[in-house]
Amino acid sequence: MENTAEAPTGERRTSEHLDTDEQRAFRLKAREYMAANLPPRIPGQPANSFEDLELVALDRQIQKKLYDGGLGGYVGITVPEEYGGLGLDRRFEDIFFEEAEPYRLPWHYGNAVVIVLPCLLAHGTEEQKKKYIPRILSGEHLWAQLLSEPSGGSDLAGVLTRAEKRGDEWVLNGSKVWTSGGHVSDMGLCLARSDPTVRKHAGLTMFLVDMHQPGMSVHPIRLVRGGSDFCQEFLDDVIVPDCDVLGDVNDGWTVARTQLNSERAGMARGWHYGLRRAEASAHIEISRRYARLAEELGVSGDADARQLIGEAIVLDAVYDLTSKRAATGARNGALPPTIGMVTSLLSARTSIDRTALMSALAGPVGVAGSPGGDGPDIGMDRVVTHRIGGGTLEMQLNLVSERHLGLPREPGSDRDVPFNQLRHNATPKLAG
Amino acid sequence: MDVELNEDQTMLQEMTRRFLEDRSPIAALRRLVDGGEGFDREVWRQAAELGWVALFVPEENGGIAESAQGVADAAIVAEELGRVVFSGPFLSTCVVAFAIAQSGSEAQRAEWLPGLAAGETLASWCFAGPGTKAGVRAGSVSASRRGDGHVLDGIAAYAEYAEAADLLLVTAQGVQGLSQFVLPAGTAGITVEPMDAMDLGRSLARVRFEGVVAGPEALLGDAGKADEAFERQLQAALVLHCAETVGVTDRAFEFTLEWVNERHAFGRPIGSYQALKHRLADHVMQLEGAKAAAAHAARAVQAGAPDAAIAVSVAKSQCGRSATEIIRDCLQMHGGIGLTWEHDIHFYLRRAVSNEMLWGSPAVHHERLSRLAGI
Ligand SMILES: Cc1cc2nc3c(=O)[nH]c(=O)nc-3n(C[C@H](O)[C@H](O)[C@H](O)COP(=O)(O)OP(=O)(O)OC[C@H]3O[C@@H](n4cnc5c(N)ncnc54)[C@H](O)[C@@H]3O)c2cc1C
Repeated sequence: MENTAEAPTGERRTSEHLDTDEQRAFRLKAREYMAANLPPRIPGQPANSFEDLELVALDRQIQKKLYDGGLGGYVGITVPEEYGGLGLDRRFEDIFFEEAEPYRLPWHYGNAVVIVLPCLLAHGTEEQKKKYIPRILSGEHLWAQLLSEPSGGSDLAGVLTRAEKRGDEWVLNGSKVWTSGGHVSDMGLCLARSDPTVRKHAGLTMFLVDMHQPGMSVHPIRLVRGGSDFCQEFLDDVIVPDCDVLGDVNDGWTVARTQLNSERAGMARGWHYGLRRAEASAHIEISRRYARLAEELGVSGDADARQLIGEAIVLDAVYDLTSKRAATGARNGALPPTIGMVTSLLSARTSIDRTALMSALAGPVGVAGSPGGDGPDIGMDRVVTHRIGGGTLEMQLNLVSERHLGLPREPGSDRDVPFNQLRHNATPKLAG
Repeated sequence: MDVELNEDQTMLQEMTRRFLEDRSPIAALRRLVDGGEGFDREVWRQAAELGWVALFVPEENGGIAESAQGVADAAIVAEELGRVVFSGPFLSTCVVAFAIAQSGSEAQRAEWLPGLAAGETLASWCFAGPGTKAGVRAGSVSASRRGDGHVLDGIAAYAEYAEAADLLLVTAQGVQGLSQFVLPAGTAGITVEPMDAMDLGRSLARVRFEGVVAGPEALLGDAGKADEAFERQLQAALVLHCAETVGVTDRAFEFTLEWVNERHAFGRPIGSYQALKHRLADHVMQLEGAKAAAAHAARAVQAGAPDAAIAVSVAKSQCGRSATEIIRDCLQMHGGIGLTWEHDIHFYLRRAVSNEMLWGSPAVHHERLSRLAGI
């Protein structure tokens, strides 16, 4: 998954010639407003980096500006007007992203817009939708996903965090972990166990949790590269009013499924709305990075290097063409909807394979260099490029084989047993 | 393969599939091989009647090119041919017809195209050298000027169906550049030496040119100026070749999926074991990549898009490598039966391995991509 902004390549393409009068007016309004209010897109700047508090603060401002300027915030364009959106169709969203290409967008709202928004729209009460969606669009609320726990993430339905009803409140106790942006988030979507006496999928409830409360302690976790993008939370009598249960009590798995599907769709698409070119080129474009790298490394004429680069070009092009094909095929019915799972798997495989090729290309230059140079990054990409977040590689393989290919499901020893009779992992403490 | 076929194309696909199921299923290949025959001329003639070669031939020469999308439509046929590991001179005849239609004089078009479209004239394209890097460059046959014609010398290898061909298209290197010639196969000085090919449904030959005199009537296009035409023909050939490879892989994957659902071990279908399931998930992912790349190449070449040269090399690398890897593993999942002569899968794997290396191995296309990327 690309996580940095790119320099604009060549001339910009827009679909301006297709605009109706109304669309044209929207485009001009967006163009003028963005030029006056948005910071430029800086090549190499990360799309999101939750430990960069200034960048997070900047994104909050950008989101607010987009909302105040009547552009619906980041991706509020298709959201119904009663929830603070513009109630327009996808075409307007495409126009927005075409016009936004030269500017930074508030990519830290990824969780909020890719995951929380679809969950709220699908399962929220009117009250919840009216309360929370406008706050996402206006930049007031950053959201976190409180799903994984120290005892396990793949087996999401096995969460241990307890939710108990006391009067008209729920009280949550337990621990969540790997929460991207937990320390800067205002709200969290939290899956907890409301009934441990039934089988595991049946005893779950999804909560909308205020992160700023005494019972919620949030501790950044230090990552391989040294940064701290994720956190561990300890929930110690965290209070959630009954009106903030999302979906039905003990039916949290239904909401979790929407959440996971949205996450997968986001992963397959590249996660950050508007980070990649607004109007994807109909042609294969070879990244200029390879020629530049070959030049820098002095291997342009080297037969081995040319092989590796040729392979990398194939890898990139195949990913691009496959995701376009999948999108078209899913839309026109030529491919089943499960094709998105295949693209998601391919995106994981592609980034892993690409880092391998680049590392082979750079050789020792990729693992040690002069201080301040960018050499060791290539080797470090080998260390940190994995598919774990958003469902591990193995879980993607399970999905593709079981849902897309229809192969028999794994036998599970836990399906029909009350949750409190299953064996669980201990809860290691990773931070704090 | 393509998710954006129009109505005519869907019809073409269905018609081709029905024809092949009826006239040339995989069992037909087994019969041909057991009988020591190369391919079935009667089937080829009937196939030509369906318009397989006519796609490239203008109406005035007995074809339907004006109402077809030559390369893109032929790719649909090629994919179906892959599904049954078809044996026959489809690619070679189509590409020669394409070359003559594009670069031929009026006289050449009138002389050769009607027979090609009708399935009466078979053709082969001679251009590749004999070495490991063969497949994307011409130059192993030389053309030197003599009088108002040329003399051809050298060897072209891996020429498809040259043994059966009535007509040869030769791409030769001259001092100024590439020149192309169309010659009757019986022209003095031409010897066709069949190669021993691992793909049992494909005839390959080395064609030797020894002082072959090619008069002005044989010259296709201008002397020394055929570089662009060569690239266009190569692109068309690669599109058909990749589409065929996709069909081969798709079908082998399909029957393997049925097999892993049916075959039981330790009380459950072997397809329920993650060790196999996960590999099949990766295979379908690579197969989708191959389909996407091949379909894009077909469209790009058909439209003469600026990325056509890149697109065919991307497709060739992806289709070639994934086909071998996928079908090799599919054979593995069959267990012992997969290694028997009686099971069909070896025909598929033979074609896959062979296709990966013909028309430029992945390494050759990776090098070509580096060059196209300006490196
Ligand atoms: C960048 C990143 C961002 C993240 N953001 C968030 C977030 O915002 N919110 C959140 O809640 N979580 C987040 N996560 C957590 C992530 O969802 C979990 O790490 C992931 O689901 C795996 O869970 P686990 O770490 O407990 O590993 P485990 O589930 O314990 O898995 C360990 C290993 O066992 C394998 N395995 C498990 N089950 C099976 C099976 N059935 N078949 C085959 N193999 C299996 C796994 O693939 C893995 O290799 C993030 C993780 C990362 C890396």
